Amino acid sequence: MSEPTPRVAPPVGGSDRGRRLDAATAAAGPLLDVRRLRKYFPIRRGLLRRLVGHVRAVDDVSFDLRPGETLSLVGESGCGKTTTARCILRAITPTSGEILFRGGGGEVVDVATLPKRRLRPLRRQMQMIFQDPFSSLNPRKTLLDIVGEPLLVNRVGDRHQREERVAELLRLVGLRPEYMRRFPHAFSGGQRQRIGIARALALNPSLVVADEPVSALDVSVQAQILNLMLDLQSELGLTYLFVAHDLSVVKHVSDRVAVMYVGRIAEIADTDRLFATPRHPYTEALLSAVPKPDPRLRSQRIVLEGDVADAANPPPGCYFNPRCSYAADICRTETPRLEAIAPGHLVACHRARELTLRGVAV
Amino acid sequence: MSGNQSLTPILSVRDLKTYFFAEEGTVKAVDGASFDLHAGRTLGIVGESGCGKSVTARSILRIVERPGRIVSGEILLRRPANDGQREETVDVARLDPESREMRRIRGGEIGLVFQEPMTSFSPVHTVGNQMVETIRLHLGVDAAQARERAIGLLRQVGIPKPERRVDEYAFQMSGGLRQRAMIATALACGPRVLLADEPTTALDVTTQAQILDLLRHLQAREGMAIVLITHNLGVVAEMCDEVVVMYLGRVVERGPVDAIFHAPRHPYTQALLRSIPSIQAQVRTKLPTISGSIPHPHNRPPGCPFHPRCVEWIRGTCERHEPELLPVDGENRVAVSCFLHHPPRVSGAIPAGAQAGA
Repeated sequence: MSEPTPRVAPPVGGSDRGRRLDAATAAAGPLLDVRRLRKYFPIRRGLLRRLVGHVRAVDDVSFDLRPGETLSLVGESGCGKTTTARCILRAITPTSGEILFRGGGGEVVDVATLPKRRLRPLRRQMQMIFQDPFSSLNPRKTLLDIVGEPLLVNRVGDRHQREERVAELLRLVGLRPEYMRRFPHAFSGGQRQRIGIARALALNPSLVVADEPVSALDVSVQAQILNLMLDLQSELGLTYLFVAHDLSVVKHVSDRVAVMYVGRIAEIADTDRLFATPRHPYTEALLSAVPKPDPRLRSQRIVLEGDVADAANPPPGCYFNPRCSYAADICRTETPRLEAIAPGHLVACHRARELTLRGVAV
Repeated sequence: MSGNQSLTPILSVRDLKTYFFAEEGTVKAVDGASFDLHAGRTLGIVGESGCGKSVTARSILRIVERPGRIVSGEILLRRPANDGQREETVDVARLDPESREMRRIRGGEIGLVFQEPMTSFSPVHTVGNQMVETIRLHLGVDAAQARERAIGLLRQVGIPKPERRVDEYAFQMSGGLRQRAMIATALACGPRVLLADEPTTALDVTTQAQILDLLRHLQAREGMAIVLITHNLGVVAEMCDEVVVMYLGRVVERGPVDAIFHAPRHPYTQALLRSIPSIQAQVRTKLPTISGSIPHPHNRPPGCPFHPRCVEWIRGTCERHEPELLPVDGENRVAVSCFLHHPPRVSGAIPAGAQAGA
């Protein structure tokens, strides 16, 4: 995995020149291929807990993830981004669909249907970074226990080797190895998030799922963690699935972005394309709603009316149609399919080809 | 008199100090904050965790919890006197927090909007009942009139079918609707000052845009002054006229919004603005960072609280002396607390009280 291989230029955004994508693995296909993923949660009511309906938390979601890239899932609360991520890690079992993951040996497994006993070796290759660095670390354990836990659980190395590995990991995330015997309370939010990252990297995963990794941190510390994640990616060739609601953060880390709305993907494209020339009215509204840190740009903001649709009882047609200022008759009756409008740019909107929408200038 | 009115602030905070006396030591949560708030304008108080922005708000409302208390300073609220003719000034810092007078100000003359409307509403009373209670307490009208007013307010803040929503509980509403209901409650008594502490932090970005729009719209109509407390510099840039930047309990810089964003003077303001992720940035770019992290309040550095993280700190000065907040322009529109702008000891030349002159 860490063998030197021929390097190719990153696919988009040449701004992080240090990054290396592995040409050989890229040619072998995606690291992760999610196909028609669904996760419905039953709604039960009454004394007999009768089934009265379903919350369609994730409803027919498909995307792939190439080795070494960062794909962000963005959207507002209840859009299904976190549920999608949890399905991929098999923290919850999907209702239907496939999650094809290519393991270290090149074999492809379907995470969605894998029997429980075969999950553990797989989980060494997919790890998670959590949102809240305060509640995700056990306060009674030292850094050595916390970061070394995945090694212990998976019976990697002896005591001495584990200690060495923890020291190496701490150094990797910018913490002093001497801190190994300390408890998490001695550390700030940013340092705790570094500890969480060190733990996630302990078993050399190929896929790291980061769920809102900086949203609980102070602004001045967010940048440190985002930079660290970019550095680790180029150093270790990691593939990130980044779940976030903050589009500014997403722009700083992603190669591609998928915008979700009520359990479905509304639009997916390369980051610069999606921000500069969005093709879905929801993406346009989302970009426009982000407050820009410049008083001279006080905007003619697009303010959407109403609330996000109810995933238990979505409107007919396109789920976004009640809030969409471009909605036509067809939008109220037919659900749009996610279709390519340009290579690598997919949109689920009946009017995508005729609309000119406003993006964000760089 | 009326010509002067726009120049006279509604609310002036002068050298406010609110400390928390804990067993482990004293935390100077707010350590000498001064700023003015004018009618019809929005003042942003911005800073990261532990900077004292929320304690400042709680001090103004006199709801600082033990072991915290206001140690010194003034919180001057100007308002029409009882005869309706003259203006009078009350020092809120000197009032008994439990007094009738303070209760009249809190929720009456100063309306409040908090971050999490779920915890601000009682789960066992309907939103309408809670509004009716506030309205009756402050305006002395009967229950039927108060209910009418509550429905009217819910309509004003854009809640659909207010006649029905008024009888709902807070948990039956979405986050956006709850925050609207909270704003309606805050407006119930026609406050002249609205204090909003992270009013959109718990909301999604499209809902945030709705709430900010609503606040702007209400301000234009009612002419109230808004204090907006937030960590989000984007929200500050969109909403505020004046900005106060705080760090570890102190105001490090104060000025008009354009000066803060386009000509920041304090190294902290400069670094903070550089380090925030921007939607207008190039894709996959690294951000300049501020080294280190915010110190624990018990380990407050001596001298300028920012000096251990500052790239321009002056050895021998910044770790020894505490800089004062002093104007950097003749008109006292921009003030900075930094030795790069005011060398120590000469600093007494321009008194901080210069701004108080009407």
